[in-house]
Amino acid sequence: MCRILAYLGEPLPAQNLLFDTDNSLVRQSYSPRMMNTFLNLAGFGMKAWDPASLRPEDPFSYRATTLPSFDRNLGFLSSKLAPTCLVAHVRGVTYSDEAVVADTNLHPFQFAGARVALTHNGHLRQFPRMRYTLVEHVRPELAQRIEGTTDSEWIYALVMSQLDDPYGVPETRELADATAQALRILRSVRAANGIDTSSPVNLCLSTGRALVATRFSFDYGWYPPEDEMLETDLPFVSLWYAIGGEYAQHNGGWQMTAGDPPRSVIIASEPLTIDHSSWLEVPEYSMLTAELTPSGLEFETRDLDV
Amino acid sequence: MSDGATAGFLSTVPLLEGRNESDIADLARVLRRRTVPAGETLWHQGQEARELLLIVEGAVAASLHAPGGQVVEIGRAGPGEMVGEIALLDGGGHTMSVQATEQATVLALGKADFAALLARQDPATFSLKRRLAALFTARHREQLRHLAGSLGGDEADLAGEDAARTFAELDYCGPPDSRYLRRMATFHDFDPAALWGFLTSGRYARCPPGRTLLAEGAPSTACYLTINGAVEKVLIRRDGRIRVGLAGPGKAFGYEPLIDGLPSPVTAITRERSLLLVLPRGPFEQLFHREDAISRVFLDVIQRDLVATLRQSLRPHARLAASV
Repeated sequence: MCRILAYLGEPLPAQNLLFDTDNSLVRQSYSPRMMNTFLNLAGFGMKAWDPASLRPEDPFSYRATTLPSFDRNLGFLSSKLAPTCLVAHVRGVTYSDEAVVADTNLHPFQFAGARVALTHNGHLRQFPRMRYTLVEHVRPELAQRIEGTTDSEWIYALVMSQLDDPYGVPETRELADATAQALRILRSVRAANGIDTSSPVNLCLSTGRALVATRFSFDYGWYPPEDEMLETDLPFVSLWYAIGGEYAQHNGGWQMTAGDPPRSVIIASEPLTIDHSSWLEVPEYSMLTAELTPSGLEFETRDLDV
Repeated sequence: MSDGATAGFLSTVPLLEGRNESDIADLARVLRRRTVPAGETLWHQGQEARELLLIVEGAVAASLHAPGGQVVEIGRAGPGEMVGEIALLDGGGHTMSVQATEQATVLALGKADFAALLARQDPATFSLKRRLAALFTARHREQLRHLAGSLGGDEADLAGEDAARTFAELDYCGPPDSRYLRRMATFHDFDPAALWGFLTSGRYARCPPGRTLLAEGAPSTACYLTINGAVEKVLIRRDGRIRVGLAGPGKAFGYEPLIDGLPSPVTAITRERSLLLVLPRGPFEQLFHREDAISRVFLDVIQRDLVATLRQSLRPHARLAASV
């Protein structure tokens, strides 16, 4: 199972999010606190938007199949980046003869020329059975761009196919609606193929100015008795957020300072600190949207009834 | 405070009613007495739990720290009451910060001694577990009252709707695959024979999504354990609705009215199609009041569920306090 992290707000060194805290994303990659089974690490990826960089609308991109905890290049880079938006992902795969550990399977996914990136924590059970029905719902030019073997990249292509212009910058509302619509299509395709087992779909999408995240599962609580992921999936896959002024060290610990209106938000599979008191759990079956505006950060939580 | 005086105090603590003199004397020897000045913080939210406290004199307040520096007082405890046991029972950090509101005398019971107290299989321990269940139920109701107050308005009138019909109309079916049941974390620690006894004490039923199984304010006729699927526990008012918990696989609901005789504190609605173990009032009361291996499993399931429920109910408190 994977771990995801997204940040939007004041410029913040990526190193603070990835390495510095006592439950940072890189620490979660080898010592997660909210998973019942261990990770089989298959790589790390991130997109980071920095308004001071060349072509600020394009993010820095980094993907490597090496373990992030031993990746010195990632350490060097993250100490020099202070993005206003970052989406990062640690990929975990269950051992199987069919698992493919490859650069093309690493998140975040972002087709060349597209302005939306996506990460996914979860898995669509029996995905090979539904893949070819899904093709009908994906724009052919986007389907052709799928390079890897993951369900996550197909989810990305499906969400992008719901946008009016897959290569433009969608309004936050349009991106949220496209995500919800993609989940509806997945539900109908699963039903058409007789797939009715638990499939978590925690997504995080970003344009660099906005984030859309889901904490969701299809058929939560239903598993084949011999399923190897059962112990991992029995609890609803976790997702947390911290919102406020800025993420900073305070009295020796990292926390989000108060901010009214808020200026920064972090969304992550697990709180980045062992002390959870400045974090809130995302309600199950819900969607978060956050957008940077001239007056601050606009943030909304809503029930995801798809 | 001498051991004798401590024992004298312990014999007045409702939670320990039924313990014999020798038990009380043993407990008195392992408790550590402390005097705490007004304003002192006994522990911070999230801090690792090492002990629980019985209040002898004075009072303490439990507060929830929410993002943005907001602090909400959730409850107070006075003489004869206990704080800190939730984190000892589930191994998580303290759910709230606790501070003395006036000078207080407390008796501290360490983690290992509390575990030993609950591990026994004598009648007094069964009684203690039942009293803990009643205490946690009362606390849960108090938390929910706070939340309902923040929603305002009257309860939605669901009492006469689905809930009354549901019990009679459930689609009863055979038991689930035992290979699946054995892998559920809720049951890992239990003796297989006793677990089987518990799992065959009720009937299994399928339920479609969107079915109201319990209505807030109405009496409950059964306790339910989710085997597959998920059930939302919600407070519904005319102006809004708060989800206070999600009962996924291995989680129970509907037991509060069967423990304290009061109406259901929440409305329970299936979010997913669900397979439920249904324990009507009769079998529930037998399991709750008997003192054998099967009842031990049952009381532990209920206790774990109440502890998890108390933690889960703090999530909407924190969100409301943070107003995000």
